[in-house]
Amino acid sequence: MTNLCLRRLAWSCQWRSSQGDILSTGLKTMAMASFTLHRPHTLAEAVRLLEEHGAQAKLLAGGSDLVVNMRMRIETPAHIVDLSRLDELRAIEFDPACGLRIGALARLSEVAEHDIIRSRFPVIASAASQVAGPNIRNMGTVGGNLCLDTRCVYYNQSYFWRKANGFCLKKDGTVCHVAPGGRRCWAAYSGDLAPALLALDATIDIAGPRGERCVKLAEFFVNDGIKKYELAPDEIVCAVHVAPEFADWRGIYLKYRVRSSVDYPLAGVAVAARVNEAGRCEDVRMALTAVNPSPRLVKGVREMIVGQPLTPERLERVAELVRQTAKPLRTTVAASTSYRRHMVGVLAKRGLTALLTP
Amino acid sequence: MSERTFSVIGKRIPATDGPPKVTGTALYADDLRLPGMLYGKILRSPHPHARILRIDTSKAERLPGVMGVVTGKDAPARYGILPIGHDETAFCLDKVRYVGDEIAAVCAISEQIAEEALDLIEVEYEVLPAFLTPEEAMACEDPNLWIHADRKRNIEKEYHHHFGDVERGFREAIESGGAVRFDRFFQPRVTHAPMEPHACVAHWEHDGRVTLWTSTQTPHYVHRTLAEVLGIPMSSIRVIKPFVGGGFGGKSETFTHEIAACLLSKRTGRPVKFTFTREEVFYAHRGRPEQYMELKTGVTKDGRITAVEAKVIQDGGAYCSYGVVTILYAGALLAAIYDIPNIKYDGYRVLTNKPACGPMRGHGTVGIRFAFESQLDMLAEEIGMDPAELRLKNCLRPNTFTVNSLRVTSYGYDECLRRVIEASDWKNKRGKLPFGRGVGIGGSHYVSGAANSIIRSKMPHSNVSIKIDYDGGVTVYTGAAEIGQGTETIHAQIVAEELGVALDRVRVIAADTAITPVDLGSYSSRVTFMAGNAAREAARDIKRQLFRVAAELLGESPDRLVARDEKIFPQDEPQRAISYQEALMAAIEQGGTLIGKGAYTPPPEAQGGNFRGAGVGPGVAYSYSAQVAEVTVDPETGQFTVDKIWVAHDCGRAINVLNVEGQVEGSVWMGLGQAVAEEQIFEKGLTMNPGLLEYKTASAVDSPPIETIIVETIDPEGPFGAKEAGEGSLAATIPAVANAIYDAVGVRIRDLPITPEKILKALAEKRRRDKDANGHGEKPTA
Repeated sequence: MTNLCLRRLAWSCQWRSSQGDILSTGLKTMAMASFTLHRPHTLAEAVRLLEEHGAQAKLLAGGSDLVVNMRMRIETPAHIVDLSRLDELRAIEFDPACGLRIGALARLSEVAEHDIIRSRFPVIASAASQVAGPNIRNMGTVGGNLCLDTRCVYYNQSYFWRKANGFCLKKDGTVCHVAPGGRRCWAAYSGDLAPALLALDATIDIAGPRGERCVKLAEFFVNDGIKKYELAPDEIVCAVHVAPEFADWRGIYLKYRVRSSVDYPLAGVAVAARVNEAGRCEDVRMALTAVNPSPRLVKGVREMIVGQPLTPERLERVAELVRQTAKPLRTTVAASTSYRRHMVGVLAKRGLTALLTP
Repeated sequence: MSERTFSVIGKRIPATDGPPKVTGTALYADDLRLPGMLYGKILRSPHPHARILRIDTSKAERLPGVMGVVTGKDAPARYGILPIGHDETAFCLDKVRYVGDEIAAVCAISEQIAEEALDLIEVEYEVLPAFLTPEEAMACEDPNLWIHADRKRNIEKEYHHHFGDVERGFREAIESGGAVRFDRFFQPRVTHAPMEPHACVAHWEHDGRVTLWTSTQTPHYVHRTLAEVLGIPMSSIRVIKPFVGGGFGGKSETFTHEIAACLLSKRTGRPVKFTFTREEVFYAHRGRPEQYMELKTGVTKDGRITAVEAKVIQDGGAYCSYGVVTILYAGALLAAIYDIPNIKYDGYRVLTNKPACGPMRGHGTVGIRFAFESQLDMLAEEIGMDPAELRLKNCLRPNTFTVNSLRVTSYGYDECLRRVIEASDWKNKRGKLPFGRGVGIGGSHYVSGAANSIIRSKMPHSNVSIKIDYDGGVTVYTGAAEIGQGTETIHAQIVAEELGVALDRVRVIAADTAITPVDLGSYSSRVTFMAGNAAREAARDIKRQLFRVAAELLGESPDRLVARDEKIFPQDEPQRAISYQEALMAAIEQGGTLIGKGAYTPPPEAQGGNFRGAGVGPGVAYSYSAQVAEVTVDPETGQFTVDKIWVAHDCGRAINVLNVEGQVEGSVWMGLGQAVAEEQIFEKGLTMNPGLLEYKTASAVDSPPIETIIVETIDPEGPFGAKEAGEGSLAATIPAVANAIYDAVGVRIRDLPITPEKILKALAEKRRRDKDANGHGEKPTA
């Protein structure tokens, strides 16, 4: 799969080795702007390339987000840094003392099928298994899914379409068609993995020219459809960590979409809960996706649920809380905002019920 | 013919052109690369409606790598698929009429340069008010604003038909203690979504002849239109259909890129290729129109349909395309499935500033079938009758003329109904499943080949020739376009059966206008019936030649001979057989290469009545389909799953069982997509979902099990009794699902698609109503 994708990319670009010499000049059979493809062998090399080319460069992992956007001329990077040779970012490791570490280049299908993730961090496997369809999961990576561009029906369109519509705030324009008059971009964060990882209070490792840093995922995302996350143009997300105390939390990710495959979420809820041997819930965390410009942890669920019987009234209160946290706007034509808000509440109730029903 | 056994037909034969497709070696139009080939791109309108004041292509022409630019003045001839709808030009001359309308085309040494050049073409517009609904369009009294100046109030065409006396019929229904209902329904605009986008390569040679390889369903119509627009004789044009990755109606006429490729190749002396992006396929469209339907139907107390009055308004988009046919089919075919003595029909095809609609699988019948079959269930409830029973009571008889002069020959709808009722365990399920689960029934039908040619020609509709040469191979030449529906295999089977040879002797050459004889194309489900008959006729022609020689060898009379399983022998004396090869060699020794030909022309009595618009609706035969859907609805979310579909399809005779099943399942599946999710959405004239991510054709994961039952009525005129199998089963799926949802949760959705959101809203309304009525029973049909 990787080779095929790269071959197709090569048609439309100048192919350079990591030293920068041109390997081949291919036919231009796809209407993409020209770019220089870099294929570093080490993370350090990749960081160096980003440092050199900065905002002119884009990282390529699975390509399932970037290549589509390039064909729509949403992205026109002069340089592409292909990460596929960085085997150091591919590993999935579990250590009882350090917890779970998933390399940013781990494929979504590998995560979904990983024995330890499935048995001890089920919320992650549940989310990974529901991303798009099987082909995309074989291509798409954990880092790519986390750093997915935000989505909007006025943005994820061809250059012709966007031009005909007068462009938009997020790309080449000054108006927001979702909230006209506003100065803020409401494009929806639509990754499936992020809520699952937020539910497990994950952290991520970021490498850059100023060294490595580690941030809480909750602090990584920014509720702004343009800025999206705290990541400098010369930084690379390298890995995700989940602390050992989250091992064996029950978990589930529920996703609303029109089709049972392929589609991005129109609303998504991840729930994780620590349930003791007596079957009592000791802690619970919940996060949402696709209903705001960033994935969101729902605050206050723990207080409502832990130590309380799981009555319909209580579930309804959680649903209400969730609906208050969600602010879906008309960033898609696949469902109305009111229905997405309804669904996010239903999914929250169902997630809790699935995890906490004795 | 009834007890006859066959060697090649009636079997499960894998597609003869399957291996190259599944191994990736099949060459589709976009796979073709000729030396020096250039890449074309089309400049499209960003406005739904505007006058073109000025076009300046000079900057684009100066861009290095650009080899040619063409605009409207390079090919100003008007054309259109229908003689009465010549409202298109290759490029807009004075006005643009929808977002995506074609203004100019560029060819360059790369696709990327061609695209850059589009940005350099300057167009100055005077923006006009856009009509985005039929209501707005029909309200416009200002001729200066009409989308086409000669289409008053933007009405492309209207028809008013009245057969029998509907008022009398409604009275009869009421007086009998039956019921009359009036309801409104809506069908959204949906698209074909073939896997392969439109693509073509043109090569204008130095001798003034042009060859066009194009992904099309109708090589002959493309051939004709090119001659008109390019101003050269048809004999100078060669249209070749390579492998086609699906059409479903969307590639049934000539498109701008096909003309542009020829023009640009002429200008540059180099081959030129165009391949659409998926978004461009949405702009080329020609799919189903938005359809607003008002339907009034009466049934007597004992369940006889007495009258139907239908008003249909279609939002046809900016050009005619097949629109006049679409609006006529919606009315005419009301008469060809149930026995309805009185029918009134008012149909309006309206122009709007959106991509042009056209033919799509089940052409014209799909929306109205949803409406009719839904309303039939409501009427059944009102008269307290099982809806399956009501359908059985209103079946036609074989060999009848309907009230609007359609000739129905073989008719298996009643048997289709009985078979799905039995297979689905209908009697134990309908109204008896727990709340949230239900079953629904629906029926549909389709012409098995339109009896009238859309180009108003008296020539045969299908011609097939066969050549058998020294190698003993049987080459079948047909202009009928294999587009994935299996017609090459069907041709091969028919010829092999008729000639009595093994299937692998036969090779089918499909659709090259320089080589293959004329066939009108793959539309209106006509190929098996018409080209199949022509192929059989051609095989008989060959057989006569062979039998003449074989008779001499055997010392027998030719009319006593039988050809079967590679042998020729006198009837009932297989022990005296000579081999096919022996007879063949003897025949070639005598007269050289064997050539046979066959043609098919529909019989005059199948061609319909004499009233205005009577030409559309008549088929040489009709296929029938009945379906039962079982669903589970989640009342908290409105989401539902279709758990299973039982479908029975009357295809006359299944020449290829595997192929019939595939076509029927595909129809059901396509209908299901339209039932549950597909819908093109517009905002200010812009298609909001011009891609397969946001336009929701269903995914394989959402496919329910489909149990296909083949009903064989052995049509008196079909080849070996065969009728169509590719379209007739689509329409029934939609009302079957709608009716099943009603059975499950008691809500009726009248506008497609049936989304969870609409169900949820309807459930809330129903709860309110039930509360007002003191909460009587949740399940209305229990």
